[in-house]
Amino acid sequence: MTIRDYLKDRLIAYFIWAICHAITIIFLLAYKVGGQPIIVVTVISIMAVVSHEIWNLNRRKNFYNIIRKTTEELDQKYFLSEMLSEPDFYEGKFLCDTLYSCNKSMVENVNKYKKKASDFREYIELWVHEAKIPVASLRLISHNNLGVVSDKVNVQIKRIDDCIDNVLYYARSENAEKDYNIKEVSLKKVFSNVAVRNREALQLSGGNLTTYGLDREVMTDKKWLEFIVGQLMANSMKYASVKRPLEISVKAKEVDSNVILYFRDNGIGIVEADLPYVFEKSFTGHNGRSNSESTGMGLYIVKNLCDRLGHGISVSSKENEYTEFQITFARNEFYKMS
Amino acid sequence: MNKIMIVEDDKALCEELSLLLEKSGYSVRSVKDFSDVYSQMISANSDLILLDINLPKENGEVLLQKFRKKYDTPVIMLTSSAGDIDEVVSMSYGADDYITKPYNPTILLLRIAAVLKRSVKSGQLQEYKGVIVSSIKGSLVKGDQEQVLTKNEMLIFQLLLDHQGEIVSRDELMTVLWDNDEYINDNALSVNISRLRNKLADLGLQDAIETRKKQGYILI
Repeated sequence: MTIRDYLKDRLIAYFIWAICHAITIIFLLAYKVGGQPIIVVTVISIMAVVSHEIWNLNRRKNFYNIIRKTTEELDQKYFLSEMLSEPDFYEGKFLCDTLYSCNKSMVENVNKYKKKASDFREYIELWVHEAKIPVASLRLISHNNLGVVSDKVNVQIKRIDDCIDNVLYYARSENAEKDYNIKEVSLKKVFSNVAVRNREALQLSGGNLTTYGLDREVMTDKKWLEFIVGQLMANSMKYASVKRPLEISVKAKEVDSNVILYFRDNGIGIVEADLPYVFEKSFTGHNGRSNSESTGMGLYIVKNLCDRLGHGISVSSKENEYTEFQITFARNEFYKMS
Repeated sequence: MNKIMIVEDDKALCEELSLLLEKSGYSVRSVKDFSDVYSQMISANSDLILLDINLPKENGEVLLQKFRKKYDTPVIMLTSSAGDIDEVVSMSYGADDYITKPYNPTILLLRIAAVLKRSVKSGQLQEYKGVIVSSIKGSLVKGDQEQVLTKNEMLIFQLLLDHQGEIVSRDELMTVLWDNDEYINDNALSVNISRLRNKLADLGLQDAIETRKKQGYILI
């Protein structure tokens, strides 16, 4: 609050004072009081107004400046009411009280939704848990009745299982709860778990897998990373080119004390115009229009999980040639200490 | 014959699991009444227990903890939760392995075999018809003749030897190879098998591996 703002705000008060003072002077003149008494009255009156205004300006200026500064500095602006000490003038007090009750009502409202979100998430976790049991039975039934169709059945069971996992990890990635467990994980182990799980589908599609340099440990959550790599692999199979057999090559390299995992396939690739948007929610782009299985959720969840784990993820591609994802794991010594 | 006890409250899953294990030559006993699982675990006197975590009365992890205080029968935990916490808890309570649903049946069988093998002290060297199999050196030795096998060939031979006289499907062979980071395709498997056959023939073991059409291979 500047002096100018304050003066502008009080303009009408000064105007009223000036009129009242003018009337006083007219009265004094009417009673034939002239000269010096008028000057004395004017000086006293001006002194009263000025001193009152300075005092008034000061206490407001302090209060408003604190409000402005805290609001600017605060990351979460709604903490403002907790940062203010109650001023000694009425409007200030009133403002503080109002802010406080607004805040309270907002917190209650936010909590209501938080509760709803966490209830929903709990339900999803429970549902996933339940849904996995019949899937497990199906897998065993298919294995116990080996025949020509069991490979195909297994691939479809795998698809159901992937869909279920998608829901679970979406729910997890959207919620603030910290339910990942970061420790040293072998990239080789993670990849082999994903590969074994996708083996039937890969073989039916005639795909080939090569790995290089995966003998590295990274700091991550094993289950989450398996989901991430599984998604990338599912995408490679989904967007394989019909012109040539699918080749997936996975390698890890150490660059500037970071470990980078390169996941590359020789599929249909991504149109250049679509590249910046592939991690966006519900974005299906050019490939999505020609493939009805695209939901635009897979990579969005992947990106979200990577963000939460602190891994970088980027993509490069050339249409009809290749797609390559790079996941960067920071070599975080801090994690290792704990 | 090894006795395996299944503690799983989903009936369909339990049935299929029993079927799978019986087919693989285990004697299976499953828990039907969940009011007192603990005493059944003790009285069953089995060689291995498959224990589900979510049980109607008592949590599997609690059961495991109680059980481990007195007995050292191997226990493999089965669960459908994809979280890490259950795994950590189970292992710290003394589980021998931990498998999440839906499990790959071949891998489940491999894990069971591995846990059973660990609990019985077995010699390092196996023998097959006068040939000494050294999985550490990755070689087959007969008299002063030695044949060095590649990693793939050794994995295949080991699996066939462990199931000597039984049919091993291509699917099982593939699962084992992939589980050991050898991501080979169908053709490569055929090539590996024919190389293995040649190496065995060099040691005087002609036709040791037979092909069963549409079923797999068998080591006689």
